[in-house]
Amino acid sequence: MVQLKQGQFMQAVGNAAEINELLRRYGVKFGIYKNGVFNEQFFPFDPIPRVITAEDFGSIEKGLVQRVNALNEFLYDIYHEKKIVRDGIVPEDFIYISKGYLAECEGITPKNRIYSHISGIDLVQAKDGEWYILEDNLRIPSGASYPLIARELTRIAAPRAFEENNIVDNRGYAELLKETMENANCGGIRAILTPGRYNAAYFEHSYLAELTGSALVQNDELFVEDNILYHRTYSGGKTRIGVLYRRISDEYLDPLTFLPQSLIGIPNLMEAYRSGNVGIVNAPGNGVADDKGIYYFVPKMIKYYLGEEPILKNAPTYLPFYEEDMKYVMDNLEKLVIKDVAEAGGYGVVFGSDLTKERLEEFRKTIIAEPRRFIAQEVIDFLDLPIVEGEETVMRKADLRAFVLSGEKTRVWASGLTRFSRNPDSFVVNSSQGGGFKDTWVLSR
Amino acid sequence: MKRVNFYYCAKLTFDDYVHNHSFALRVIPPESETQRLISCSLNITPYVSTQQTVDAFGNNVTAGYLKGDHRFLDFEIKGAAQVDHAKSRTDYMPCYLYQSQYTKPDDALKSFYGQIKQECTADSVSDRAKYICGALASRIVYEKGHTDTDTTAAQAFALKKGVCQDFSHMLISLLRMDGIAARYIAGLAFCDGETHSWVEFWTGDHWEGIDPANDCPVNDDYIVISQGRDFRDCAIDRGVMFGSYTKQLQLVRSILT
Repeated sequence: MVQLKQGQFMQAVGNAAEINELLRRYGVKFGIYKNGVFNEQFFPFDPIPRVITAEDFGSIEKGLVQRVNALNEFLYDIYHEKKIVRDGIVPEDFIYISKGYLAECEGITPKNRIYSHISGIDLVQAKDGEWYILEDNLRIPSGASYPLIARELTRIAAPRAFEENNIVDNRGYAELLKETMENANCGGIRAILTPGRYNAAYFEHSYLAELTGSALVQNDELFVEDNILYHRTYSGGKTRIGVLYRRISDEYLDPLTFLPQSLIGIPNLMEAYRSGNVGIVNAPGNGVADDKGIYYFVPKMIKYYLGEEPILKNAPTYLPFYEEDMKYVMDNLEKLVIKDVAEAGGYGVVFGSDLTKERLEEFRKTIIAEPRRFIAQEVIDFLDLPIVEGEETVMRKADLRAFVLSGEKTRVWASGLTRFSRNPDSFVVNSSQGGGFKDTWVLSR
Repeated sequence: MKRVNFYYCAKLTFDDYVHNHSFALRVIPPESETQRLISCSLNITPYVSTQQTVDAFGNNVTAGYLKGDHRFLDFEIKGAAQVDHAKSRTDYMPCYLYQSQYTKPDDALKSFYGQIKQECTADSVSDRAKYICGALASRIVYEKGHTDTDTTAAQAFALKKGVCQDFSHMLISLLRMDGIAARYIAGLAFCDGETHSWVEFWTGDHWEGIDPANDCPVNDDYIVISQGRDFRDCAIDRGVMFGSYTKQLQLVRSILT
C-alpha cells in the first residue's frame, strides 16, 4: 500500500493525451465568449491528481460547513430583518449598492430557509500548508462535472491507481445533489434549467441532469399557471415541477420581475416561488453574499451568527472604503492584487506588480474615485502543483473549488475541481482564462 | 378621513392573435394605515384563472396565464376605500435610499442638485423635501407627448419637460441625493382621468406624500395602487405573449369620486 502525502504524488495517472481524447469525444467542453464570438474550448485535463490528505480534508470540511451555514444565515437575515446591518457589523452601503442584492426578493423565505444549496468555494493552499478562502460562489457555481467525468475516465485508463491508494469515491456527487434538490422540492419533479447549448456550461447541465435523473429543460417548455410551474410534455399535457435547479442568472429568470427583455426566463416564476410552490436552486438574490466586497465580512458573519471562531481564513483583504485600509492600499499598491467587485471569472483582477508606473498612478486615481468598487488583497504564495507539459513535469499555480451542498445537512463533496494556470507567471486559474484542471483525490486515511 | 369610490379599466388590444400570454397586474390597491378597502372587485376578460400574491414592495399582484388564442385582454377594477392621511405608513425599506434604474442621476441632474443644496436652508426632512419639490417644479414644465414610460429622470431633466411619472422620478433622484429615502407611487387622484404618480419620502419615522407634478402635498383625494423604487416596480400590467402581433394598444380610463 502506497501511503501518499500532500504534494508527493507526482506520477501521472494514465496517459494525458488518451484521456483528453476521451474527454473530447464525450464533448466535455467549455464555451467562452470573446469579443462577442462564442467559441467552445476543451478544458485541458492534467493526469497528475491533486492529493488532499484525510487530515487536511477534515479541517477544510469543518471550515467550509461553518462558512456556508453562516452565509445562509446572512442571506436569510438580509432579506428579512437585516440585524447584521442594524448591529453595525456590515455597513448598509455594502448591501444595497451590491448588484447581487435584489429588492424583489425581500421577504421571500425559501423552503427550509436554505438560500445557497450548492456553494462553490474557491480555496488556495499557501506554501506553508495553510488553506485560504479566495472567493465564495453562491449563485450558480459550475465545474462539478469535470472532476466527475475525469475520475470516470482515469478509472478506465488506470484502474490500478484506485486499487493501490485509499481514495474517497467521488461518484456520490449525484446522490448528494439529488438529495439537496429533493430537500428544496415543493412537490413535483426535479428539473435542471439550461439556457441552451450555446451556454459555457451546457455539457455540465446535461451531464448533471442525466446523473440525478432530473429533466433537462429550456424555458420554452415551461410555464406558470395558477402560480405552479409546469413542464409541457410532448403529448400536450403538463407535469408539475417541484424544484428547479436553474443554470441561468437571476436577472434573466423572470421577465415579469427582473429584466423585461429576457428571452430565456419563465414569466411569473417568481410568483410561484414566492407562493412556496416551487423551489429554486440556488435562491435568487444570493449575489449579495458572494459579492467581493461582502467577502471581507464573512469571518465577522461566522462570529455574529454562529458565535464561533472562523476555522478557515480569508486571504488578508483590505477595503479602500475604510479610511485606514485605503491608506494601506495606497502605500502598498505595487504588491497587492486589486479586484473589481463587479467582475467575475478572473476578469477585473489586477496585480499591482504587473503595472507600469503610469498605469499604477492612473489606477490609484480610479480607486480613490470609486473606493467601493475595489478590494485589495495580499498576494498569497500558493503552493505549486506538478503538471505534465509535453515530456516534462512542471510546477504551476493551482486553486481548489470545493462544492458544499446544503440539504438536510450541509456537506462537503470529498473531491472538487482543481484548476491550474498554464502560464508559469500567472496566478489566475479560471477556465475562462485558458487554465486546465486536474482530478482532486481526497484520501480516506 | 374620506370615503372614495374608484374605477379603473384598461384594454390591451393586439392586431393579431396571441397565445401563451403570461401577465402580472398590479391593480388592486394595497391596504395600509392610510387606506382601507371597503369593497373591491376585479374583472378580467377573456375569462382566466388568476392567483394573488403580495410582492416585496407590498403590492398586490394578480398573475395569470392565458393559453389559447386571444386578441385582447381587458381588466376593470372598481371599489371603495376609506382614505385617511392623518394616519401614517411605516413600511420602510432601506433600498429606497439608493438610486434605482430610472432615478440614476447624470451630471446635469447632479449639478442641479448641487445648486439646490447650496440654496436650501431648511433643516427638517419634510421642509427639505418641499423645498426640493418646489425647485424642481419651477425648472420643469408639465407637458405631454415628449416622454414615455421608458424615460429616465436624467432624460426628462435634459428635456425640461415631462408628465407626472417624470416629475416623480426626478424628485426621487434629488431626494435620494439629499440622503432622503423616497419611493414611487402609482395611483389615482381627483381631477385626473388617467392614472397618476407621486412620491413618498421617509421623514425618519413615517412616509409622507408629495405630488411633484402639482407641487402640493398629498391628501385624502389620492389613492395608492402600487409603490416601489421607481416606475419599474409599479407597472400596472406586465406581460409576455407569443404571436405575430405587431402592436399593442392600451386604453386606460379612471375615475375617482
